[in-house]
Amino acid sequence: MSSVARKWPWSKKNVHGDDPYWDFFINTPPADLTNTVTELIRNAPAGNIFPTKADIHTPEITSQHVKEMARYFGAEWTGIAKLERHHTDQPDSYPFAVLCAVQAEYNPRVSPGIGGQVPVQNGLFITFVLSAWIRELGFRAHVESPLEAEALAARAGIGRLEAEGRLVTLQFGDKVYVADAICTDLPLIADG
Amino acid sequence: MALTSEQTANQTNGRGVTQDAYADTEFPTPYLGRSVRIVDKVVNVDMKQSPHPKNQRGELGKPLFNWYHNTVSKDPLTRVSAPNHFADRRHFLSTVINQAAKGAINPRRVEVSDPVAMTRHIKAVAHYMGADVVAVAKAHPSFLYAGGRYVQDGSAQDAYESNTPEDLTRRFPYILVATTAWDYDKLQAHRHFIGDAAYHVSQIKGNMILKALEGYIKELGYTALRGVAIPQAAGVASGVGELGRNGLLINKHFGARIHMPDPIMTDLPLVADEPVDIGVDDFCKICRKCANTCPTNSITFDDKVVQNGVEKYKINWLTCYKLRPYVHDHWSSCLTCATVCPYTKPNVWWRDLAVKALHTCPYVARPALVHALKWIDDRFWGVARNHRVRWLDYDSGVKPGEHACTVSGCTASHAGQEQEVTGDFGFYAPLKENTNRFVKR
Repeated sequence: MSSVARKWPWSKKNVHGDDPYWDFFINTPPADLTNTVTELIRNAPAGNIFPTKADIHTPEITSQHVKEMARYFGAEWTGIAKLERHHTDQPDSYPFAVLCAVQAEYNPRVSPGIGGQVPVQNGLFITFVLSAWIRELGFRAHVESPLEAEALAARAGIGRLEAEGRLVTLQFGDKVYVADAICTDLPLIADG
Repeated sequence: MALTSEQTANQTNGRGVTQDAYADTEFPTPYLGRSVRIVDKVVNVDMKQSPHPKNQRGELGKPLFNWYHNTVSKDPLTRVSAPNHFADRRHFLSTVINQAAKGAINPRRVEVSDPVAMTRHIKAVAHYMGADVVAVAKAHPSFLYAGGRYVQDGSAQDAYESNTPEDLTRRFPYILVATTAWDYDKLQAHRHFIGDAAYHVSQIKGNMILKALEGYIKELGYTALRGVAIPQAAGVASGVGELGRNGLLINKHFGARIHMPDPIMTDLPLVADEPVDIGVDDFCKICRKCANTCPTNSITFDDKVVQNGVEKYKINWLTCYKLRPYVHDHWSSCLTCATVCPYTKPNVWWRDLAVKALHTCPYVARPALVHALKWIDDRFWGVARNHRVRWLDYDSGVKPGEHACTVSGCTASHAGQEQEVTGDFGFYAPLKENTNRFVKR
């Protein structure tokens, strides 16, 4: 599957410059939110955890497999962060967060059009399927929007935080969108 | 084209063949390339008479009905990505997307003064969202289903369901086809959960892209109908590919490893693409690799036949379908015919060169070129595909029914998985000679 069209960070060429409708696609907010898939994926309820735990490997290998699976779903960068607020005496807390990032040619925070939200759409696809897969392995997984995904991604070594709190990566600068964090109790090894 | 019912086929098979079946109507017979030809009036087929809906109603027998409704896959990824074999429906993204409410058409329509620019734009939008192949077909009544709308695991009701195919074609003259390709390396493990991952993950991604594209067309202020048009018909008409002996659309970049999901019928002003000639017709006459390797002998060795007014190779969909309950523990989508197709290769320059050679070769010289290319394919990729493929902790080198951890460096204890796996040979169940006992013809 192809992802977002690649463009080198130093390239000045606007590949959509001669498209009279491109600005509408990127910047015009939808008149009816039902016409976007982002809302319906975000609001979809999480499914049940499969009753039988899968026969998993060592935490190092399981971490590699989770990252490989996320890459297959379209993530360009993946990382695992340890959640500090995890307490072993609280059964509902999660020890790890899986972070996935995709390339974002336009900043979704200031590009409300369906096109501007494509990185969000791609991120939601990854987090939906990846968290469902972890639950089907028999472990808890919860996509948590309010979590500071960019700060966690920086802690997981995907990039570093700039002054305004946005994640910056070596390859694509700030043209990166970090999807919502997947909190899980799958035995993993944290990065960073 | 459409998977038609036998009854519908029999209604038209005995008719005399005319050169232009629609010569006297306002919709002339569309040219679909060299692989498919409309030679007689096409009876529009109700999608509810196709395999999946028939099986949902229990018309294909108990084993298939039970397999469709009451089985949960052993594989966690299949439970997430494949229709009907999930433990929890909420984990299947296509259900979430296809059952969602329909959005309204934006009353502030974006006026299109240049359909060429809009066509370029909508293709760029689809590619930007992740589609691998995008094309536009000029609609024709023969491309449409009869009866109501059909979207698997969802609904697609609209205000035009009582319209005839002719009325729909007048009102919505274009069909937008956008699709995703399957991962080449994983596809090599056909009849295995690895191959399923190639197929099903790109399928749910494609469903999401089409839903987003449908919403975007409505935001532009135009209508986007789903569950109306036959994907293969729109695919050949728009030049997505040519129809092969295996009943699959063969694309010039990806071969047979593309989905043909439900396309979008629209009144958005566009410019239609033309059918392509990449030599599939010449290749399929000679090659027959898919027919040789099909585990259920569902692909014909014979010439094309006229099926419901359409001249094409006719596969036996029922025998293809009937194997599935018996192999449920090992895979859910066979994919053998797509994998062995010589056109199914990585999307690289030498593959483009071969397709270009076929495209530019005069018709009379094509059989010689096909023989040469097939010899190369047999010599370097094999007459059948049985490579060992490893991905995550999946390994097609482990015999079906046995368990072994072949992940390098894994020190975890796995009960009952002590077998050693050696060699570079993949096991793909069941062997062709063993399928006769499952599938009676």
